[in-house]
Parts: sequence; C-alpha cells; structure tokens
Amino acid sequence: MTNNTKWGVVAEFDSAASIYHAAEKVTHHGYTRVDAHTPFPVHGLDRALRQGPSPLGWIVVCCGATGICLAQLMMWWMNGHDYVFWVSGKTPYAWPSTIPITFECMVLLSGFGAVFGMFGLNRLPRLHHPIFRHSTIWRATDDRFFLSIEATDPKFDSRETVRFLESIGGKHVEIVEE
Amino acid sequence: MTATAHMTAPSLQQLAPTIVPKVKDGDLATAQLGALVLGAALIGGAWATGGERFYFSYLVGYMGVLGICLGALFFTMVQHITRAGWGICVRRLAENIMGALPLMALLFVPIYVGFDHLFHHWVHPDPNDHLVAGKSAWLNKNFFVARIVIYFAIWIAMAFFFRRASLQQDENGDPAVSLRLSRVAAPGLLLFALSVTFAAFDWIMSLDPHWFSTIFGLTYFAGAYMAFFAFTILMAKWLGKRGYLRGAITVEHYHDLGKLMFAFVVFWTYTNFSQYMLIWYANLPEETRWFADRAEGGWGAIGTLLVFGHFFIPFGFLMSRHVKRNGVTLSIGAILLLVVHCFDMQFLILPTAGSHEQGPAEHGAGHVANAAEAVETGIARFTHDFGTYLHGVHWADFGCFVGLFFVLVGATLWNVRRANLVPLRDPRLAEALHFQNF
Amino acid sequence: MTAILVVDEPENPLRRAALVEGKNDFASVTNIIAGVAEKRTPKGWYLMFGCAIALLLNLGAMIGYLVFNGIGVWGNNIPVGWGWPIVNFVFWIGIGHAGTLISAILFLFRQKWRTSINRASEAMTIFAVMAAGIFPAIHVGRIWVIYWVFPLPNQMSLWPNFKSPLLWDVFAVSTYFTISALFWFVGLIPDLATFRDRAMKAGRTVAAKAYGVFAFGWHGSNRHWIHYEKAYLILAALSTPLVLSVHSIVSFDFAVSLLPGWHTTIFPPYFVAGAIFSGFGMVITLMVPARQWLGLHELITLNHLDNIAKILLLTGTMVGYAYGMEFFIAWYSGVEYEQFCFINRATGPYWWAYWIMVTCNVVSPQFFWIRSIRRNPMALFVISIFVNIGMWFERFVITVSSLNRDFMPSSWGYFSPTLIDVLTYVGSFGLFFTFFLLFCRFLPILAISEVKGVMPEANPHHGGHHGASNGGHH
Repeated sequence: MTNNTKWGVVAEFDSAASIYHAAEKVTHHGYTRVDAHTPFPVHGLDRALRQGPSPLGWIVVCCGATGICLAQLMMWWMNGHDYVFWVSGKTPYAWPSTIPITFECMVLLSGFGAVFGMFGLNRLPRLHHPIFRHSTIWRATDDRFFLSIEATDPKFDSRETVRFLESIGGKHVEIVEE
Repeated sequence: MTATAHMTAPSLQQLAPTIVPKVKDGDLATAQLGALVLGAALIGGAWATGGERFYFSYLVGYMGVLGICLGALFFTMVQHITRAGWGICVRRLAENIMGALPLMALLFVPIYVGFDHLFHHWVHPDPNDHLVAGKSAWLNKNFFVARIVIYFAIWIAMAFFFRRASLQQDENGDPAVSLRLSRVAAPGLLLFALSVTFAAFDWIMSLDPHWFSTIFGLTYFAGAYMAFFAFTILMAKWLGKRGYLRGAITVEHYHDLGKLMFAFVVFWTYTNFSQYMLIWYANLPEETRWFADRAEGGWGAIGTLLVFGHFFIPFGFLMSRHVKRNGVTLSIGAILLLVVHCFDMQFLILPTAGSHEQGPAEHGAGHVANAAEAVETGIARFTHDFGTYLHGVHWADFGCFVGLFFVLVGATLWNVRRANLVPLRDPRLAEALHFQNF
Repeated sequence: MTAILVVDEPENPLRRAALVEGKNDFASVTNIIAGVAEKRTPKGWYLMFGCAIALLLNLGAMIGYLVFNGIGVWGNNIPVGWGWPIVNFVFWIGIGHAGTLISAILFLFRQKWRTSINRASEAMTIFAVMAAGIFPAIHVGRIWVIYWVFPLPNQMSLWPNFKSPLLWDVFAVSTYFTISALFWFVGLIPDLATFRDRAMKAGRTVAAKAYGVFAFGWHGSNRHWIHYEKAYLILAALSTPLVLSVHSIVSFDFAVSLLPGWHTTIFPPYFVAGAIFSGFGMVITLMVPARQWLGLHELITLNHLDNIAKILLLTGTMVGYAYGMEFFIAWYSGVEYEQFCFINRATGPYWWAYWIMVTCNVVSPQFFWIRSIRRNPMALFVISIFVNIGMWFERFVITVSSLNRDFMPSSWGYFSPTLIDVLTYVGSFGLFFTFFLLFCRFLPILAISEVKGVMPEANPHHGGHHGASNGGHH
C-alpha cells in the first residue's frame, strides 16, 4: 500500500483520563489533523485537541430572524393585505395576535437551523467512514476512547506516528486505509 | 440507606486560602455611610418638593427596591431547596441583601402616612360605587394594616432564620444545617408566594380598586426577581473592585447570574404579554380601563419604552455568552434593567396618581396602509407621548427610587461588613469555588 | 471542632449521591440498556402490545364512525359545544410537556439526574402529542378539508384567520411536535450508533443495517461532539420557551374569550404548571413499572423518583395556587358572572368533578412532603394515577362547568358523554401505548451516552487515572 491510500492511524485508550492526556500529548507534539472518538463528549477534550468552538449559534440566529420575518410577512399579507378581514373587533393586522405564531415560526426555523446545521457541519449522514475499518472501533460507542491522526497531517509518518501513539499508551494502534 | 457519617465541611481556609474571608475593619464604612446619606437626602428632597405627589413617587421607589430584597429572599430559599452548588458565594450576598428587610419595614412608614391619599379610591369611595363596596371585606383599613404586619412578619422571620442559620454554619461547619434549611425552604417558598402575591395586590393593584388580574402577583415578582439579579451583579462587581469576593464570585458565577437575569427578562415579558394580550383580546371594559389609563397622559410612550427597554434591547444584548462573561457589558445590562425596572414601577403606579377625569384617548386604532407609514406615525406618537410624560413626571418619581436604592446599598454594606463574605464552611463551598459552565 | 451526625447518605450535603448505583462501568451501562432491546421479547410485552393494538383498532373504528356520521355522535351540544374532545386534547398535550421539560429545562438547570429519565419521557411526549393532535383534527367535522387550517392557497382564495387562537394551536402543536421529535432524534443518534455497533459485532446484520441507517454514520468524533453539544444546548434553549408557549397558547383557546371561568390572566402560567404536573405524573406511571420489569434499578434510582415526586409536589401546589387565585379574584372582581361561575363549579351540577380535581391535584401530591412516600415506588405509582385522573378532570371542569351555565338561564344544560366519546378517549390510550411499547422494545429507553457522561469516571480529571476508590473500573 502506498501512502496515498492511507487514511490515518487510530489508537485505542481505555479511559476518559487517558484519552485526555493522550490528546494533550499529540497536539503538543505538533500533530494538527487529529480527532478523538468517544462514547460521550469528554469534558475539555476540545481544548486538548485544539478544536475551535462551533459556529452553529450564528446559523441558528439567522434562521430565527428569518422565521420572525416570514411569519410577520405572512400574517400581514394574508390577513391585512391580500384578503382583508375584520373580525372580533380587531384591526386586520393586529400585532398582539401575531405574537404567538411569530414565536412558533421563530422556534421552528431555529430548530431546523440547529439540527440541520449540525448535520451539515458534521457532514452527516454518511454511509461509510474509513475509521470503521479499525478492528476495535465498535467500542467507541461503548466503553473505549480512540485517537486518530490523519494521513494528511504534515507531521504524519506511518511508522513514526504509530510508534508515537504506542509510546503514549495507545493500544491496538492500526493504520486505517481510505 | 441510612448510613451515618461523622463529618464537618472543609473550611474556606483549607479550600482557597487566598480568598479574603471578611471585610477589613473600618473598610467600606465611608461608602456605607455615603450611600445611606445620599439615599436619605434624595428621599428627603423628594418629600420636601413633592407635595402630595411624593407618596406616589415614594411607592414607585419602594416597590422597586422592596422587590430586590424579596428577590434575595427567594434566591436564598431556591438555592437551599435545589441543593444548588454553584451559587454558595452569591447566596451570602443575597442573605446580606435580604437582611435589609427589617429596614424596609421601617421604610414603609411614609406609605402608611400617605395611606389615605394613595388608596383614596377605596378609602373614600364614591357612595354609589357598589363594586368597591363589595370589596370592603378585603379593602378596609384595619385588615389592610393587619396584612402589612403579616407580610413583614413572614418576610423578616424567614430572612432572619435563613441568614442566622447560614452564619452559624460559618462557625460550626455543621452540614446538617444545609439539610435543615433545604427542608424549611419548601414551606417557606409557599408562604413567600402567597405573601408576595397579596402584597402586590394590596399595594399596587388596589390603587385602582376596580381593576383585577389573577396574574398580577406573578408579574410583580418577575420584574422584582430580575431587578434582584441586576442589583446583585452590580454589588458583587463593586465589591470585587474593592478587592473582595475575588476568586469567590468568578466570571463563571457572573455568567450564571447573567443567564438568570436574562431568563427573568423573558419571564417578565411572558407574564406581561399574557396579561396584556388576554385583556386586549377579550376587550371587557372593566379590565381594559386599566390599560386605557396607561395609554393617556403620555403613558403610552412608557408602555412602548418598556416593550423595547424591558424586552427587545436586553434580550438582544444579553443573549450572547460574551456579553454575560464580560464585566463591563454585564454591568451595563444590569444598570439598564434597573432603570427600566423604575419605569415599570412608574407604569404600574403613577397613572392612578392623577385624576380620572380625562376624556377618551384621542388616537383610535386607525387602519394604517403600509409599514413605513406605521413606523412614521408610531415614532411621531411616541415622541408626542413622551413629551407629555416628561411634562407630567416629577423628579421625585426617579429620586425616590434612586434614594431607596442607595439606602439598600448602604444597608447591604452594613450587613456585608459584619458577616463573612462567603459561607466559610458550607458543605458545597468547594463545588461553588470550582464551578465551571459547560 | 465537634463532629456532627449527618442523617442519611443520599441527602448528605457533603457529597452528591451517585447517579448510577451499584458496581457499574461504561460497558455495563451499555449492556443494561442495550440488553433490554436485545433480549428475547418477553411474553408480557406481547400481551400488553396486543391490548394496545386492540385499543388502537377501536380508536380507528370510532374515528371512522365519527367521520361517516358526523360530530352528533358525541355528547357535544349547545350550550356545551366543547366536550370531551377538547378535554382529551388538553389532557394529552399536557402530558406531552414533561418530556421537553426534562430534556430542556432540567438540562439548562444542569440537573444531571435527568439523564436516566429523559429519553423515555421525550418518547412519551411525542406519542402524547400525537394522541392530542387527533382530537382537534377530528373535531373539525369535515376532516377531508383539514388543510384549510394551513396557510395554503385554496379555491376560495381565503386565508386562515390568524387572529384565532385555534389557529395559533395549529402552529404551536405542529411546531412542538416537530421540535420535540427532532430533539429526541438528535439525542438518539449516538445511542443508535451503539446499537448498530453491537448488532454488527453480534452478527445481526439486518438489525445493524436498520439501526445504522438512523445512526447517520455516527462515530463519536470529537469534532462532531462539539457541534452536537452546541446543537443540543440550542435546542434546549429553544424548547424551554417553546414548552411554555405551547400550553400558554392552549390556555389562550379558553382565556381570550369572554366566558367566566375561562377569561382570566393567570391561565397561561397556570396551564403550564398543570401540564408539567400531569406530564410528570405520567412519567411516574410509566417509569415505575418499566424500572421494575426491565431491571433498571441501578440507573433509575430512588433518588430519581424522589426528585420527580418533589416536582409533582411543587407543580401540584402551583396548580393549587392558581385555583386559589381564580377563586379570590372571582370574588374580588365584583363581577357577578365570575362569582357565580366559581360557586357553580364547587357546588353546582358538576361539584363532584370539581372536588375530584381538587382532591387529586392539590391534596394527593401533599403526601410527598413525607420522604418515605417519595421513595416508595408503589405509593408513587398510586398517587401518579390520581394525578392523571385529577388532571383530566381539571380540563373537564374548565370546559364543561363554564359552558353548561350560559348567560341566559333558558340555555342552561347538562352535558353527558356518549359511548362513542368514552371509547374514542380509551382508544387514544391504545395509540399512546402502542407507540410506547414499540419504543421500549426496539430503541434505547435510556440515553446511554448521557448516562455515561454523568458517571464520575467520565471526568478526565477523575481520581488520577483509574482504579480509584469510586469503584468504576474493577
């Protein structure tokens, strides 16, 4: 196998503490294209891996603002402009009565933004991922913690990286193919 | 499950020896005195210049500042009942704020003096007014005064009980104190809810004895609790500047206080919208009258101001995590909310101060053709109404609020200087000191 | 310093009680929860599922009968134009509030104990909202033109009336259903990945494929977790006002009217408190047997039940506060119609419904002042049944007792349900339980990844490395 078809190296760790320390060492050693694979979010691991915060909040704010505008436009246009009707002694467009639906539309679109934005940022759903070739990766959703270094990392070297991961306590260190 | 353990809580000395446990002797005394003198001077000035209007102005300030003390009592009890760990150090500050409740009882005297004037709608009712006559079992002077005594007895007793037990724990480090307080807090909250509701009915809602709203107690509480968070943030920040509470109330705690302040901005809006929308929608004259009064005499502008100042602006401003974690921006938010809290109290209280002999509102709900025109007329109306408001408002309507605010600052400092700054041996102190937001 | 005797361990203020009891580690937590879905289907499940399906078929039959014959088959008639259907709607939508409360509000308040009950409660929410949605839909009479409630262009070039609170309901309930379902699904993804990986390992290819499709290729990447946790936080922050808004809007259906007993400003928060109360009641009703039968004692501990009981006590008392305020203000208002309405509630033809409501909702949770009752699953279960009954009667009292006395005494009437009313209501339980039993059988009924996340060994700074005293790794 040539270097081109390698996706990266994956190592197994057996506790939240050990993956945390391993992540610190790996990034400290200069690796940048690293990721962890854990059964639950490990507190502080994003800092250890030097991964930035999520921009999802901005997506949601934009979606929420869109929801407010669309709802207001809809109610004003439908009841106050296109087919004006006077009912229950209120003006055709009466702002207090538009608040509930405006709020619901804001929440609905924000929720879509949060969920689909999260999927988009995570590039999910996907049918396959190279990491599934690792022999014990199935335990990443059970009780084991994995660290991966991708082959595209400038510091990546199949032999050196494997040895490094073993030296910091990784088990089942395997080269995973694309 | 009933394993017993012989344990005492670790002390602050063991957990964080760098935190100053107590205000140095004599320190902050000038500030305390200054706040009290300034407060007294403002109230005195208002009294000297306000005439009969003074009582209404004073009620505005009083209800605003009393709400902060009651918020402190509520916060303390909620901390105990939920066995919260994050807010142990904030709780001591709240205990010091609610320690001002006996003083607040004393400061009720001007309202008692102005009683006939404030509540003249039901003290001297129109003899043909059968509605007010029907309420005389509740709205009569003797029972009213008895209720004042009951409310303050409840509040002072609870504040005294919770604060004293907490201070005792500083000495003995007994974890069982926390357990006991968390149990007492449950019936305490029940008493609190009932007493605050009826106090709001009595002291604000009954100013207009014809009007009624079942949610009114909750709307008062929502604004008051928000003001408590604003006050606490400012007090803690100021004490931090003077070198106290550093390391005890950290950015993480301010972030949480900011979140709670934000939450009660929203909750205030929720309760007020519920009240307004339901009354507006059903359009029953006995209920809409109250809002009609608040559309006249320039009060419409204050209503608009509250919608923006008490909701849209703080909502947008405080939403960001960075704003809540930055001392300057959070303090700006807190000051803004205290100012609008004063406007809120004015809006509830002052429109009943004037006479009711005005004609109907001149601006009916006209049908506006397009949005630009609506905005333009809206702005024009706001400017006009705000001018009317400024014409009618007295400086004392703000002066009393500010004066009582400083009296509360002074009283809080009085307590702060005498007690330990943090609960030294609360069993969850370590949790509070190491607390981090997610 | 004297040493002090602290009472019992779960309430010891010096340390937090363990959320997972027994000698459990991550693997055993996975085993317990996944085991429920992987074991052979117990016979009892088939029995219950059969009953639920029978009731569901009955619901279908009742709806069919209704659609063919019209609304006249129900007891609704002037003056009581809103009878059981609206009562059932509010009853179910109220139950559907606890799930989102637990997953969103308790999340924002950092109540970690929520992790072992949130999944099932969210599922309960979704199924309850489905059951709720049926009633207003079939109540429109001509269900084939139900699309008129949506702002769609139609042949009459008419738009919906956005000033109608019933239309607000359409938006509120459909938004609530959508967001709750998304919230639930997002929470499920990591656990579905666990199921997928276990099925794959055990060679159950079909199951692995089925779970795999819905797991979306999740592999626990930390970059994914960052966005995921943010999305979860945002959904919680959105759902919190959403859950308040939905029942507030349901209360607006009543409260915007002029009707005494309906038009009162406390209705929105009062309905929300009642909804949370009834939802937690139903959580207890479902979780106490599930905990027993599925062997989840170490994950759903007595401390969890204790906490739920406290919330029942709190919300039950809040509901009592609202009953009290309504009565006080009815008197204080001086409006004779208001006064009559409330006296009529307590002493009129529906006095029995009123007193069932007060007994079940305000009196029965007061037993939870006693700690030993809060920690007794059997007692909890019994009281939760009373809560469910009481909250149904609350909606019955509000709807029927306000309507049966019109402003004109000549229009007074007495409402009686028909057999169709009763069977439709009973059938809605079939819908609810069919879905809930399917959920219990095939999906992770506890949030596996979240339960692991609140175990002490999930903290990377927990007790040095492993093998420490807290008994995680053996």
